[in-house]
Amino acid sequence: MTMVIPARRWPVRAGPYLGPILAIVVWELLARALSDAFVLAAPSAILLYLIDNAGLMGRALGVTLANAAAGFVIGNLAAIALATLAVVWPRSDAMVRGLALLVFCLPLVATGPILRVVFGPGPWPQIVLAALAVYYTTLIPLLVGLRALPTGWLDLVRSYGRGRMAALIHVRAMAALPYLVAGLQIAAPAAFLGAMVGEFTGAERGMGVLTIRAMRGMNVEMTWALASVATAVAVLGYLAIGWIARVFMTDEPPVILAAPAEGPRKGPRALLTVLTVAVVMIVIWWGGLKLLNLSPFFAKGPWDVFEALFLAPDAAATRSTLTDALQETGVFLLPGYLAGLAAGAVLAMLVVLFPAISGTAMPVAIALRSVPIITTAPLVVLILGRGALGTVVLVAIMVFFPTFVACLHGLRQAPGRVMDVMRSYAASPWQVLLRVRIPAMLPAFFAAARMNVPASVLAVTVVEWLATGNGIGSVMALSASLSDYDMLWSSVALVCVLSALGYALVGLLERRVLAAYAPEQLA
Amino acid sequence: MTAKPVINRRHLLATGAGAMGAGILGLSPRQAFAQSQVSLQLSWLHSTQFAGSYIALDRGWWAEGGLEVSLLQGGPNAPVEPPVVSGTALVGISAADYTAAAVAEGAPFKIIGVAMQNNPFAITSLTENPVNVPADLGGKRIGMALANTPVLQALCTLNDVDFDAIEIVPTQYSPQPLVAGEVDCLLSWETDLPVALTIQGVDNTTMLLADHGYAVHSQTYIVTEDSLANRRDEIVALMAGEVRGWDAYREDTDAATDLTLAMFPDAGLDLETQRLQAARQVPLMFSDLTDANGFGWWSDDTVAANIETLALLDRSVTPDLWDRSILEEVHGS
Repeated sequence: MTMVIPARRWPVRAGPYLGPILAIVVWELLARALSDAFVLAAPSAILLYLIDNAGLMGRALGVTLANAAAGFVIGNLAAIALATLAVVWPRSDAMVRGLALLVFCLPLVATGPILRVVFGPGPWPQIVLAALAVYYTTLIPLLVGLRALPTGWLDLVRSYGRGRMAALIHVRAMAALPYLVAGLQIAAPAAFLGAMVGEFTGAERGMGVLTIRAMRGMNVEMTWALASVATAVAVLGYLAIGWIARVFMTDEPPVILAAPAEGPRKGPRALLTVLTVAVVMIVIWWGGLKLLNLSPFFAKGPWDVFEALFLAPDAAATRSTLTDALQETGVFLLPGYLAGLAAGAVLAMLVVLFPAISGTAMPVAIALRSVPIITTAPLVVLILGRGALGTVVLVAIMVFFPTFVACLHGLRQAPGRVMDVMRSYAASPWQVLLRVRIPAMLPAFFAAARMNVPASVLAVTVVEWLATGNGIGSVMALSASLSDYDMLWSSVALVCVLSALGYALVGLLERRVLAAYAPEQLA
Repeated sequence: MTAKPVINRRHLLATGAGAMGAGILGLSPRQAFAQSQVSLQLSWLHSTQFAGSYIALDRGWWAEGGLEVSLLQGGPNAPVEPPVVSGTALVGISAADYTAAAVAEGAPFKIIGVAMQNNPFAITSLTENPVNVPADLGGKRIGMALANTPVLQALCTLNDVDFDAIEIVPTQYSPQPLVAGEVDCLLSWETDLPVALTIQGVDNTTMLLADHGYAVHSQTYIVTEDSLANRRDEIVALMAGEVRGWDAYREDTDAATDLTLAMFPDAGLDLETQRLQAARQVPLMFSDLTDANGFGWWSDDTVAANIETLALLDRSVTPDLWDRSILEEVHGS
């Protein structure tokens, strides 16, 4: 495939570096102006802190990085296995997507303590949380990629008398590579964040442990030193994956021509799928608790939740607590989600239209997503206030980055031969964008829109828990500390169901649009 | 910096050699060395908050009693109750209000010791705009974790302050909004945010809730009824080590701080902050009552006061939530 290489037309000199340099200067000045507020540390102060505490930070980084890397590998291998299963055995596709979605919707606040009880002391809760943070954002682009190929290629494999496995290895795997890379790049910062939040469950050491200490101690230099190191690691991970991809993937994207699909899936069949997924999930939930032999004091089964929501004497009060909290959360969630999607798509288009800005836009975009939300939340809240705006912006930041990366890859999936045609007609960059690149981007955009439903829920609950103290995130944290595990599991179940509904809504919209622009995805 | 190798060596002797010997002789570790492994679940990150336990571990007082103790660290997303209920930890460090909530949800807990006689909750304000008594709270903006709203409500009821005249700002866990002028005061532990402010050179005033009628035992030791009936010897040995450890802590809090930093070099602890925290903790943990009866003690009167305050927090408990038999055995009374 082609990466749009700015160097050809825009000679690399100071240009691409001007943006980052300017940003650091502004940062330094701003930090000095705000030094009495204990919010922002200047780059120079961060550097001094890192030099003075190199041993401490190095050891913490080593621990967290090892856990994040283990979670990254496990999570992505799981995603690849699930995607392969769904493609080789298409009847499992709906089940794989449904279960993967529901598991991804489980909020960190609730899963952390349970993982700690199951695994005991040691790194496993951190590793599992890192894996849970990454597998879904790899699975979804991969499922798209494994289908992003001309049907003729599959016919060719079949005409040689070869089966699905051969098609998978020789055709689908190659077609999916760019999508896998997008997934892995999104996963790099997510794994690090997952490992850090995992340390909140009682880990002995690591960057997450130090972050708690720094914030409580109002140690601004330490907080920002931790955030800077975490950001740098995530950015390096992102760039390294991109570099490896560029070395191995040199082909131009093929033209995908597919007949329009026969229309949306029939109602009854879709309903059956939803019911099957729900039943299987409930069986896994119930069976998992039995198998792990967890105490019924904190491990509540499906029946306990049903009882708490509908049969218990205080069921009405429980329901009204949950609806109030969900409404509070929804007010922040929806605008943040939409703003993040729009910002991601627009910035990706700008980068493709004006490659020169990518030198500034890319590092800022990656950094925004990689700075652990646990350290940015207080700063954003200080600048924008504790009202809706602060939370909305934080959700938008979390949604923005996966959308941006996915759209960028999608825009670059514009078929090489169609691009040649446009070039020979001397089409303007705007026309190319509108007629070739945006249609090529749509499958990736919708994949991002879907996987961002649970990701934005995750973001909003973390912000509510750590910074603003309202909504469903706060209800979950509060009920865990007051041992109200009926309430905790009820809110987890409710959040999962609502996320799945949101996902399905985006999916409906997607089928309409893709039926016109990328029918091969619906086959 | 000598503490860590000592622990490692002891750990190696206790587990490595023990397991090997037991394997050869075909015996369980307990029979061979009379060392049983138990865990103590702490309620927060390692710090001088638990330094008495570190002293007991470091000086081998638990090993003398036949115990090999693991100290499990807590954290913002690590509730104490599940590991104690599930048996991962023999003893947990909780507080009377959280324990009462868990008991109401069906957890079979008993409180067997009270490390903090006086509740550590305090209201911190800037010295130029102080909150010295509860009446000063009227019309003020207070920053706190929303989870602690019932604490503030109880304080207002106890002191006839109009709760609705106070504006609550959910600052959660950061002292920064007080410095930025976003709030006038903070509700937190006496040993937590105000210590950070003092170390950062911000003049502050604290008002301890315990001085104004708020009586809730904190840093309490909890066990399940089942453990209390069936693992009594181990619990007695664990608490005996705790008592010795905390008595030694009181003798020299600076030495206890040095030990804490040596044992946990990766915890990012600041020496000055930890020393101040360790010193401020002493008046919360020791009183005339403990001077007369020993560390961890309580009386019928303090339990009655606790039940009254807990009722204001909507927690209805009876005196049999507290079980003093372990402490009586430890202190030989």
